[in-house]
Amino acid sequence: MQVANDVELKGVYKQIGRNVILNGINLQVKQGELLTLLGPSGCGKTSTLNTIAGFLDIDKGEVFIKGKNVTNIPPYKRGLGMVFQTYSLFPHMTVYENLDFGLSLRKVPKEERRKRIEQALELVKMSGLEKRYPRELSGGQRQRVAIARALVVQPMLLLLDEPLSNLDAKLRYELRAEIKRLQKEVGVTTIFVTHDQEEALSLSDRIVVMNKGTIEQVGTPTEIYEHPCTEFVFQFIGKSNQFEGKVKTIDSRMICVELEGNTQIFIESKNMMGSNRSYSIGDRVKLYIRPEKLTIQEQESEPEIFYYNKYNASIVQMNYLGSAWEIELLLFRKRVQVLQPFVKSDWKIGAEVTVGWNPSDMMIVKK
Amino acid sequence: MEPVRYDDRQKIVRLSTEIVTARRKRNWRKYIYCGLLLFPLVAFIFGFFVIPMLYILYLSFIETKGETNAFYSIGNYVHFFTDSYYLHSLWLTIKISLYTVVVSLLLGYPVALTMAKCSPRVRGLLTLLVASPLLISIVVRNFGWYLLLLPNGTVHQLLISLGITTSPPKLLFSEIGVVIGLSNAYLPFMILSVATSLYNIDPSLEKAAAILGAGPFRSFLSVTLPLSLPGIVSGVVLVFSMSMSAYVTPALMGGANVPMLPVVAYDQIINLLRWTYGSAISYVLLGITLIMVTIFTRMMEKGRYREVFR
Repeated sequence: MQVANDVELKGVYKQIGRNVILNGINLQVKQGELLTLLGPSGCGKTSTLNTIAGFLDIDKGEVFIKGKNVTNIPPYKRGLGMVFQTYSLFPHMTVYENLDFGLSLRKVPKEERRKRIEQALELVKMSGLEKRYPRELSGGQRQRVAIARALVVQPMLLLLDEPLSNLDAKLRYELRAEIKRLQKEVGVTTIFVTHDQEEALSLSDRIVVMNKGTIEQVGTPTEIYEHPCTEFVFQFIGKSNQFEGKVKTIDSRMICVELEGNTQIFIESKNMMGSNRSYSIGDRVKLYIRPEKLTIQEQESEPEIFYYNKYNASIVQMNYLGSAWEIELLLFRKRVQVLQPFVKSDWKIGAEVTVGWNPSDMMIVKK
Repeated sequence: MEPVRYDDRQKIVRLSTEIVTARRKRNWRKYIYCGLLLFPLVAFIFGFFVIPMLYILYLSFIETKGETNAFYSIGNYVHFFTDSYYLHSLWLTIKISLYTVVVSLLLGYPVALTMAKCSPRVRGLLTLLVASPLLISIVVRNFGWYLLLLPNGTVHQLLISLGITTSPPKLLFSEIGVVIGLSNAYLPFMILSVATSLYNIDPSLEKAAAILGAGPFRSFLSVTLPLSLPGIVSGVVLVFSMSMSAYVTPALMGGANVPMLPVVAYDQIINLLRWTYGSAISYVLLGITLIMVTIFTRMMEKGRYREVFR
């Protein structure tokens, strides 16, 4: 049986001048899920959202919403809800009138309108502010009203275009949790655009990582973080340390890579990234590992944990981040970042330590 | 921490008073600089605008009888408001100005909307085009219209040859001609002030209206038009007050058939040498224009408008 797709993009292509904005986007959004489009600015994530909303005339491809081809249907006939980065509340209308706008266009009876507006405002915890003008609200409140305005018309889809990027860090965090709660409560299929990887990881059921008008990877947050398919995804999501070397031996379980100065590093064979995944001895490769996957051990200490990869390094810098320590090491004559939840008292700048990691935590890509 | 000694305290007090006086001195110096910078303009406006205006006000309260007899009275004003010719002239001035406002708003709004919608490059070009008539003297522009609107002129012949009418209306030396001339002259002001307020509308508001189900027409009525009200108000005030005080166009294109107040006042002062009566007419014109503009802005800028655009 086929899973119901609320949105389907087939080969969507858009070119403006010489710039290819969207280069053959194929995407399915499942019913009731919260899907995030993630990528750097100019990657095509907002264009993809605008394609679904109907604001972008695409050159090639088709858009389906709930199985219906809407490629040539204007935005005002698509029945969607959308929240914008700049809130976009009508400044000359009160909160109530803002919410009423979509309902009155749908010719909902007056009594029902009032009831639905009340419910929607309650949902976003904004009851009692019906008579205020947007000018009289704070940024967070405005965005709550904007979400209520999008939801009150009971849209087929909820589209969110970087709705949190104009808010300060604390509000952003608060509203992020709120959006997640609302989405599950209402059950509306939601597409969320952001350039903030933390936002994407914490909110989404699935993430679509985009780059230069194409989709790099689609997957759950853990898949995207732990098993990125490409170098771009690895670098874009989270911090990374990078090494370069040559393949020395390969078998079905492990790859051994030799770095400059005869250092050997082991990587699990399944951790390959990129399109070219056939390796032979002597190939030049890049290795990636995230700072929190590295563990510092004191030198000369008893071998508590066994690591395949274990090397001597010296501490260059130590930064306290509150929840953790960011330690910079000099390893293989390169600066390497390590994220540790704690430090020991004799770790000082210049101290010699041992750093180790598991072959399963490292990713490999052909150079 | 050491306790503060008495002479230290003295020192602190002295220092702080010194700082305050220094600040005051600096403020004074600032005022003097500002005054010096403003002086030429203030002197100019005072000498060439304020004093003449006051003198005209003074003149308007002098009534002359015969050759030598002059005395203070409000006779000039009484004369104005009791003579039907002058009252008609006042009404005509207001009427033609209102027509001009309506025509330039109806013609100008679509242009402003186009300017707001197009790319910055095209917008710059359009702004130049819209403002370009201002580079040509209004006398020259009105003469152009004069030739076009002449009896049996280009426009008349066009109307007849297109079969629209066999006896075209009188265009020159009529109210229509003056409204055409004034609208043409003041259209750029209307377009530019409406366009400026349209530029300030967040484009995502239209997107928001569209996604909520509003088609282009509904979106214009409910979002764009109300949000452009400040521009409409300033355009209307500008065009109305300029039309009320226009002299060249009514004189050239209306002639004796369309005696608008500025023309009448000019006639009194220059041709009839009745300076005092001409001054009174000028002040009536000024007063009526002020009252009309105030009524209009009060009407617009209340309730919601004040809430939103304050």
